[in-house]
Amino acid sequence: MSTPPHSDPGLEQAAASDESLLAAHEKLLGKKPDDQANYRLLPLSLLFVFSGLIFFAGTYLNLYSGHFDPHVYNEHALPHKGGVEVVKIDPRELGKKLFNNAACNTCHQVTGLGQPGIYPPLVGSEWVLGTEERVIRIVLYGLQGKVTVKGTDYSAAAMPSFGKVAGSGFNWSDDKIAAVLTYVRSEWGNNAAAITAAQVAAIHAKEGDRKAWTAEELAKLP
Amino acid sequence: MTTVQTNASHEVTAIDTAARWPLLLLIHASIKWLVLSGVLALIGSIQLVQPVFLSTCAIFAHGRIVAMQESIFIYGWAANAGLALALWILGRLGGSPLRAMNWVVVGTLAWNVALVLGLIGIATGDATSIAFLQLPRYVQLLMVVAYGAIAVPGVLAWAGRRTEGTFAAQWYAVAALFLFPWLFSAAQLMLLWSPVRGTLQAVAGGWFSQGIWTLWLAPLALAPAYYIVPKVTGRALPSYEFAPHSFWCLLVVGGFTGGRHLVGGPVPAWIASLAIVSCVLLLFHYFVVFMNLRGGLGRGSTASRLVAVGLLAYVLGGLVDAITAFRGVAAITQFTFVEVAQQQLALYAGFTLILLGAIYFAVPRLLGRGWFSANLVIGHAAIAFTGVALLVVSLLGAGWVQGHDLLDAKISFADIAIHTRPWLLAATAAQGILLLGNLLLLVNFLETACAGCCASATPTENPFREPSTMEATAS
Repeated sequence: MSTPPHSDPGLEQAAASDESLLAAHEKLLGKKPDDQANYRLLPLSLLFVFSGLIFFAGTYLNLYSGHFDPHVYNEHALPHKGGVEVVKIDPRELGKKLFNNAACNTCHQVTGLGQPGIYPPLVGSEWVLGTEERVIRIVLYGLQGKVTVKGTDYSAAAMPSFGKVAGSGFNWSDDKIAAVLTYVRSEWGNNAAAITAAQVAAIHAKEGDRKAWTAEELAKLP
Repeated sequence: MTTVQTNASHEVTAIDTAARWPLLLLIHASIKWLVLSGVLALIGSIQLVQPVFLSTCAIFAHGRIVAMQESIFIYGWAANAGLALALWILGRLGGSPLRAMNWVVVGTLAWNVALVLGLIGIATGDATSIAFLQLPRYVQLLMVVAYGAIAVPGVLAWAGRRTEGTFAAQWYAVAALFLFPWLFSAAQLMLLWSPVRGTLQAVAGGWFSQGIWTLWLAPLALAPAYYIVPKVTGRALPSYEFAPHSFWCLLVVGGFTGGRHLVGGPVPAWIASLAIVSCVLLLFHYFVVFMNLRGGLGRGSTASRLVAVGLLAYVLGGLVDAITAFRGVAAITQFTFVEVAQQQLALYAGFTLILLGAIYFAVPRLLGRGWFSANLVIGHAAIAFTGVALLVVSLLGAGWVQGHDLLDAKISFADIAIHTRPWLLAATAAQGILLLGNLLLLVNFLETACAGCCASATPTENPFREPSTMEATAS
């Protein structure tokens, strides 16, 4: 039926029966020898199209797959030979991030000034700027009871434990403790020496697991 | 009914009458879901330009509306309609009436009850966070079982076919029947029952949401398209010898496109690169589909015009998919309305228009009588073309504006919302137009089914051609 069917939207007349449909197409797929050399240009060009696409695909994957390495996230990079490259992190940057990430800033505020009468300030605090022995212990294990900072007594709140010790809700590594202390001791005009992870680790090893400190206990330390 | 069965020279044979009511049940459910999906899409679209709209009630929160709309569209409209047409085509080309049709009725009821329960779950806050898999966990096993029941006659018709040789429409229908249970159950296992860890979830989610399109919805749309185009034109498909390659290209390469939404994400670079390459390789499939089915353009009546426009959108969608997959383009289009536009181009302009055309072709043959109103058919097609074009273009515009604005750190988020607003207003109008068109379909379908059901089942005269007069010719 080569005559186009008349327009009938309610019915949409068909021009081919199912049997003839199957038969006609089966013939097209048949593997008969092509004696007449009837192949048309189109299938050949399709072959070229597909080959071109595959060539492109191979090239693209070669250039931008990072050699299928599970550690390569940047499509322009190649797998790193010989171990993992350790990236140096600035402890102050890490400390700033830790301080402001709903941990320290909740009480001591972003300004480090605390809340008058409730949370002691860190700015110019003798505890922060004083000996490393005390300040490391405070952050590692916490501090309970009355403490005097810059001549004012604070006893309303307790400092929680941040280190990897029993009962800590934070479980920060010694690196993180050192970073946040370094940040606190050098921010807002504070100017005390940086604290290294090794110093924290030494005190952590010496004290082991213990409960929070009190100000009197700390005062006995050098 | 009996007259139709005994009349052997009628195009409508026992193959159609045996499938009549179970398949009409599926189509009936699908059309109602399509209308409901349109209502929710309209509400969701209004909320984008008027955020306070219906915002006081938790059920109508934008996230839940969108999740419900997507679920209804995929599992309500697309699944019911696609399965009905796949079964019908497998039966007709298999050469014998479909068997075990009771399974279809039971399966349809179970599937749609599960969907309703799942939607209640989403409305009350139980949605999962995975694209196209938002239905809560507790209905999903039931859906797998129900799907199996609906698919039984299709598998029987394929395995017990009486005809010599097979046709492309059958390949796509059978592939869709078998691939969905695999996709759906594997995704459930990896994402809901025993979730994989970390970024692997994003990879699995991307695989599933792309797979639903390339491995299930696309074959479900291509099956009726490959059937109807040569049926209406009466000519064998040109370049048909490449159709098997195109079929396998879609099935093999289609599953690897999942990483295209992970460009720039926290996954190894090769996953995105492989997906980009797969999107490009699929161009072969789209090109062959276009070469095969280009004969359907400008021939026949409204139903084949719907199929033809749907096919054009399908091919165009593949092209757009390949272009936007590239990292340079994705830098602008990713996470913008361009992706929504792309999805609508594939799911609405492509899949839905083809399926609508197929429904307009199949229902008269299932019922043995023409549509109740030919004018409603023409009206629906005109409305659907207008609505789809407006929807896709306006979303593309919104996405382009949004994508460029987002790259400029000086433009505030509120300003971006203001810039996209006119485009989104147009998209909202488009959703309204589409809803109106689908209501016309619902009315027409109910009237037609009623006429076939309540009135005496004997049409006054045989409206169809006799098979002996219909001969497919090689072009």
